[in-house]
Amino acid sequence: MSILKKHPERDPGTAEAVGGEELLVTGGHTFKTLTDKVSGIVEQKPPAQWWLIFVMAVSGMLLLVGVIGWLAWEGTGIWGLNNPVGWGWAIVNFVFWVGIGHAGTLISAILFLLRQQWRTAINRFAEAMTIFAVITALVFPGIHVGRIWLAYYMFPIPNQMLIWPNFRSPLLWDIFAVGTYFTVSTLFWYVGLIPDLATLRDRATNVRKKVLGFFALGWRGGNRQWQHYEKAYLMLAGLATPLVLSVHSVVATDFATSLVPGWHTTIFPPYFVAGAVFSGFGMVMTLALIARKIYGLEDIITVNHLEKMNKIILVTGSMVGYAYMTEFFIAWYSQNEFEVFAFVNRAFGPYAWAYWIMFLCNVITPQIFWFKKLRRSIPVMFVASIFVNIGMWFERFVITVTSLSRDYLPSSWDYFSPSIWDILTFVGSFGLFFTFFLLFLRFLPMVALSEVKGVLPEADPHFYHQKEGDTK
Amino acid sequence: MKFDNKTYMLLETDSFARKALIAGTAGVLLSVIGAFMDHSTFYQAYLTAFTFFTTISLGGLFFVLVHHVTGAHWGIVMRRVAENLACTLPLMGFFMIPLFFGMHDLFHWSHADVVAQDPILQGKAGYLNVTFFVIRNVVYFVIWGWLVHSLRKLSIAQDNGDTEALGKMRRIAAGGTPLYAITVTMFAFDWLMSLDPHWYSTIFGVYVFSGGFLGGLALLSILSIVLRNNGAGDIVTAEHTHDLGKFLFAFTAWWGYIGGAQYFLIWYGNIPEETIYFLRRWEYGWQEVSLFLIALHFIIPFIVLAFRAAKRVPVIIVSISALFLFMHYVDHFWMINPTFNDHHFQVSWMHLTTLLGIGGIYLGFLFKKMGGASIIAMNDPKLQKSIDHTVA
Repeated sequence: MSILKKHPERDPGTAEAVGGEELLVTGGHTFKTLTDKVSGIVEQKPPAQWWLIFVMAVSGMLLLVGVIGWLAWEGTGIWGLNNPVGWGWAIVNFVFWVGIGHAGTLISAILFLLRQQWRTAINRFAEAMTIFAVITALVFPGIHVGRIWLAYYMFPIPNQMLIWPNFRSPLLWDIFAVGTYFTVSTLFWYVGLIPDLATLRDRATNVRKKVLGFFALGWRGGNRQWQHYEKAYLMLAGLATPLVLSVHSVVATDFATSLVPGWHTTIFPPYFVAGAVFSGFGMVMTLALIARKIYGLEDIITVNHLEKMNKIILVTGSMVGYAYMTEFFIAWYSQNEFEVFAFVNRAFGPYAWAYWIMFLCNVITPQIFWFKKLRRSIPVMFVASIFVNIGMWFERFVITVTSLSRDYLPSSWDYFSPSIWDILTFVGSFGLFFTFFLLFLRFLPMVALSEVKGVLPEADPHFYHQKEGDTK
Repeated sequence: MKFDNKTYMLLETDSFARKALIAGTAGVLLSVIGAFMDHSTFYQAYLTAFTFFTTISLGGLFFVLVHHVTGAHWGIVMRRVAENLACTLPLMGFFMIPLFFGMHDLFHWSHADVVAQDPILQGKAGYLNVTFFVIRNVVYFVIWGWLVHSLRKLSIAQDNGDTEALGKMRRIAAGGTPLYAITVTMFAFDWLMSLDPHWYSTIFGVYVFSGGFLGGLALLSILSIVLRNNGAGDIVTAEHTHDLGKFLFAFTAWWGYIGGAQYFLIWYGNIPEETIYFLRRWEYGWQEVSLFLIALHFIIPFIVLAFRAAKRVPVIIVSISALFLFMHYVDHFWMINPTFNDHHFQVSWMHLTTLLGIGGIYLGFLFKKMGGASIIAMNDPKLQKSIDHTVA
C-alpha cells in the first residue's frame, strides 16, 4: 500500500502539485500576494471596462424605473397579457431571477458541507449574485398587479378591514420563502465578509478605515474569534442548505398546485430546484469569466474551477432533461387527454419554437461537457453559459404561457405576444442586477480572501515545521 | 469473521454465509408451500421482498457510481463493500424470474378482458403489456449487471496493480449514471406504480430511488461497524461511520422531501384519479401504517441523527440503520399491499418467509462476495487519504 507523505515540503511561491493533487491557486501566490491582488481591486480606481458596463447597467436600471412608472400610471394593460394568459412575463422573470440565486447558495452552503474546497474561489461573488438576483426577482411580485402602491397587500398585516392574503395561496408562501432566503443569504454573505473587511480596514486610512472598521465589527483575527466565526459559518451553512431546496420548491407550487395541465405534476419541486441550480451556474459562469478576465484573476479562478462548474452544469442540465422526459412520458402514460394535449401542444403547437429553444439550450448544450477538452475551453463554456441563461428563461416562459394560452376551453384560446413594455421591463431588470453587482465588485472583495488562504498549503499548521525538518 | 491486516481479506465469512443460506433456503421452501396455498398473497409478499432488496442493491451501486464520478476520497475504505452490495443485483435478476409467472396475480393491466373494458388501459397498452414488460425488465438487469460486473472487474484489477483501472472505472461510472437514472425510474414505474395502472405520479421514480439509496446507506453503515468490530478498525474508523451517518441524515430528509412533495401536490390538487392512491392508504387501518412511515422513516431518525453522538456511537448508528432497513421494508409494503387489500390491513406469514428466503440467500451471497476478494480497495491512490480522513 502506498503511504503518501502527509505534509510534503513546498516553497511558498512554487506551483508544483502537493500530494498528487492540483493546487487550487496557481501562479505561486502567497498570503501576501493574494491580499494585494484582491484588495487592490477595490483600492484602486476601477478599470475603464468597469465604467463602461456600469453606465450601461445604470441606464438599464433607470429604464426599469421609468417602465415601472408608466406601468403605475397606465396599468397592466401596457403588457401583452390577454384573456387566457393572465400571467405573463412578470412571473417568468420572477422565477428566472429567483432561480439564478440558487447557485450562490449551493456553492456557499452545500459545497461547504460537502468539503469542496474549490468553492472558495467563487463563493463570494456567487453569494453576492444570489442576493442581487433575489432583489431583482422581488421587483416582479411587487409590480405585477400594476398598483405598486398596494404592494404591502402581499404581507399579512393586521388591518381594520380584516382583509388578509389567502394563507392557502402559494403566492403568499413565496413571500415567506423568498423573504427567508434573502435574510439568510444576506447574513451568510455578511458573516463571510467580516474577516476580509478587516483585512481591507487594516490596509486603509482615514474615513475609509472608519467605515470598514464599523462593518468589520471589531474583527482582530484572534483565535477565539475564529472559533466562534467558524461555528457560526457552519450553522449558517446548515440553515442555508434546506433553503436551496425549499425556496424553489415553493416557487414550483405556484404552478403545481393549480389544476392546469402541464403545471400540476408531482415532480415539479425537485425539477425546479435542479433547474434553478442549473441556471444559477450558467449565470455564475458568465459573470466569473468576465470578471476573471477584466481583473486578471486567472490564478485564483483557474480552469480547474471552471471545469468543475461545468460538470455541475452537465449534471443539473441532465436532471432537467430527465424531468422533461418524465413529464412527457407520464403525460402520455396518464392517458388524460388534457395532459397529453398540453405536452403535445408545447412541443408541436404554436410555441414549438420556444419549446425547442428551451430543449436545445438546457438539455443538449450541456452535453458538450462530457468532453474534457470542451469543459476546459473558455470560449466554449462562455457561449454555453449564455445558452443556459437563455434556455432557462425560455423554460419558465414555456411552462407559464403554453399551458395558459390553450386551456380546457378551445373557445377561449389565444396567442400571447409580449408588448414592448414587457421586453423593456425584462431588459431593465438586468440593469438593476448589474448595477448592484458592479457596485459590489467596486467596493467589496470579490474573492473570499480568508477562505482562499485557508486552502493554500501554507495554511496547514505543520507546513512550516515540515520546512524546518521537523518530522511531526 | 476476521479481518486480515496483510491481505485485506475478510476471513471466515463462510460460516455466516452458510447460516444465512440455510435460513434463506428454509424461507424459500416455506414460501413455495405458501405459493401453493394462496398464490396471490404469495406474489404480493414476494414482490415486496424483491423490490426491497433490489432497491438496496441499487443504493449500493449508486454509492459506487457517485464515488467514482465525484472523485471523493472519504469513502474509499467502504468502496469495495458497496461494490459487493451492488454485486447482488444479478442475484436479484434471478429472483425476478418467478414474478413473471405471477403477472396476472399482480398486475391488473395484464388481463386482456380487463383491458378490453377499459379505454384508459387500452391507451397504455403500448407500454403496459406483458411482452414489453418482461423484455425491458430483463434489459434493466442486463444494464445493471454489466455496470456491476465491469466495475468489479476493474476494481479487482486495481488491487493487482492496474493503474489504468481507476480512470476506466470513472468513465464507466460517468456514462452509467444517466443509464442508472433512467432504468431505476422505469423499474419503479413498472413494478410499483403500475400496480394501480390508472394512477400516475412523475416523481415516483425519484421517490423509490431515494428510499433505496437510504436503505443501501443503512446497510453500508451496519457493514462499516461489522468491519470495525472484526479487526479492520485501523482502516474503517468512527470518522467513516460519522460520514455515512451524515448521508443517512441528508437522505432521510431527502426521502421526506420527495415523499412530501408527492403527497402535498396531490392533496392540494384534489383530483380523484390522483388522490385515490393516498385515500387507499388512509382507510381501514392503513392510516396507522402511513403515520408510522412518516414518523419512523423520517421524523424520529432525522431528529436523532442531528446529534453528533448518534453518528459516531456504534450502537446508535446500528440501531438507526436497522430502523431504516425495517422502515424501508414498510415503505415497500405500504406501496404494494394497499393496492390489493384496500378494505383491510393485512400482513401474511408469507411476508416473513419471503423476506427470510430472499434475504437469507441475499446475505449469504453478499458475505461470500465480501470474503471472496480483499474487502478494502487496497491500491486506490486515495486510500491513504481516506484512512486518514477526519470529520472536523
